[in-house]
Amino acid sequence: MRSEILKLQGLVSGYQPDLPIIQGVDLSVGEGELVVMLGPNGAGKSTLVKTIAGLVPVHSGRVFLAGADLTDVPTHRKMRQGLGFVPQTENIFATMSIRENLQLAAQVLPKAHRAARIDAMLAMFPDLAARQSTRSGALSGGQRQMLACARALIVEPQILILDEPSAGLSPKMVSEVFEQLVRINASGVTTILVEQNVKAGLQIASRGVILVEGRVAHDAPADGLLGDPVVSELYLGGHKKEEVTA
Amino acid sequence: MITQAIMDGLINGGIIGLGAIGVTLTYSILRFANFGHGELLSWGAYVALSLSAALGALLPSLSTPIGPFSFGWSVPIALIGSMILTALLALTVDWLLFGRLRRSGSAIIILVMASFGAALALRNLLEFIYTSKPAYFTNALQISKPLFGGMRATPDQLLVLGLAVVTVVLVHLLLTRTPAGRAMRAVSENAQLAALTGIDVRNVIRLVWILGAALAAVAGVMSGLLVQIRPTMGLDLLLPLFAASILGGIGSVPGAMLAGLIVGLAEALTVQVIGAEWRAAVAFVILVAVLLLRPNGLFGKAPA
Repeated sequence: MRSEILKLQGLVSGYQPDLPIIQGVDLSVGEGELVVMLGPNGAGKSTLVKTIAGLVPVHSGRVFLAGADLTDVPTHRKMRQGLGFVPQTENIFATMSIRENLQLAAQVLPKAHRAARIDAMLAMFPDLAARQSTRSGALSGGQRQMLACARALIVEPQILILDEPSAGLSPKMVSEVFEQLVRINASGVTTILVEQNVKAGLQIASRGVILVEGRVAHDAPADGLLGDPVVSELYLGGHKKEEVTA
Repeated sequence: MITQAIMDGLINGGIIGLGAIGVTLTYSILRFANFGHGELLSWGAYVALSLSAALGALLPSLSTPIGPFSFGWSVPIALIGSMILTALLALTVDWLLFGRLRRSGSAIIILVMASFGAALALRNLLEFIYTSKPAYFTNALQISKPLFGGMRATPDQLLVLGLAVVTVVLVHLLLTRTPAGRAMRAVSENAQLAALTGIDVRNVIRLVWILGAALAAVAGVMSGLLVQIRPTMGLDLLLPLFAASILGGIGSVPGAMLAGLIVGLAEALTVQVIGAEWRAAVAFVILVAVLLLRPNGLFGKAPA
């Protein structure tokens, strides 16, 4: 039995108090899992991960990270307590160099560890190492995602959450980014991935969670979801029905 | 005569540049034009004046002029005290006013209008405490000394120019070489991503107020040393400060300083060539021209 890293308990959240988008989500993510979060547009996938990160107000319910209740903890402290988050867009500081992005992320670490962690990230992402002084705004979409991942990983988070890392990337870039995500997960980092590219997401994930209208509609091993004719019909290019039942 | 106008412009431009750095930092990080920034200059000058007078009364030897300058050690010591107290004033105004508006999700225009209100309150409070009568750090008269190319300047003026340049270099190093500076640049670019990187945005906002107010105090004391101290001195400098911060490019410290020098030179040359009555119009013309022709200023970055 894997130990539980992330636990969501009856989570209700949304940008406005009277308009919840996430409507009672219970979810548990075990250590080392790679969970892909799927669902139609407007299902609340991005809102859910932003709620976990503290970017969307929680109306009710709790968020636990490694047993600690982080529901009311400000975003910057969540990041310091082991939550890594890569937003879908604007996920690097474009006016800073690659090295400055990493230095910024590392400055929450004890001074003695900073240089070693920056070196570790540059070793993990050799493309970035070769052009450390390049202004990040000049990087390609794939390189930006790599830098965004390195920025989030530098503090050795207990869990890494990525919001649609393949958005706007070419198929070749998507493959590269996903290969890197598999490597990151294999190194022991629990990963949650929000993805529109259902097939690609399920192929690399150990588990799939399908959200519909702010609720968990399916939660099953990725292999099972890939082979499930209902899921396939609903999300893998088949006819899309209005509602999904759990 | 033109060469002297250049010297006068550089000196005045140094003061404008220092004030503009505070404006550009608050604008880029807090995302609103703080029309109360000029009042921080006035408060900085008056607080330093009070501290200097108190020090002089307690220890008269501190009022003895230092070398060729017109003031004694009481003024530099008072300047340090004034930087601290002006920073506390800025933090108090943020706590009482701007912070509450930010937390309630107020629109930018509300913050701008609030800054007008804060400026009025601070200016009138200053006038109530000190009256509108001009005040001076010292009554000593300084004779300007010949330099080169027909230029003349007093030791106080040269000190102000040198201090402005040193201060700008220090602020630039702070922003580019230190963790605090990197955090400020990160919040300026994307506050949400900064929080996702573990940066405490509220601490960065406090730091910006402290830095901006401390620089305003330095600019206020410089202006007070060279001209006079009046409750409206900050208001008079407001338009040049905004012209310089926009010409330099919002968020750029070297840009604000360079633009401050340009605005100062333009004002001085206008007085020399066209007439003193046009001086106030120069900053306005520069402001409008930059907004029309180069909205990102000299060193500003275009939105991604």
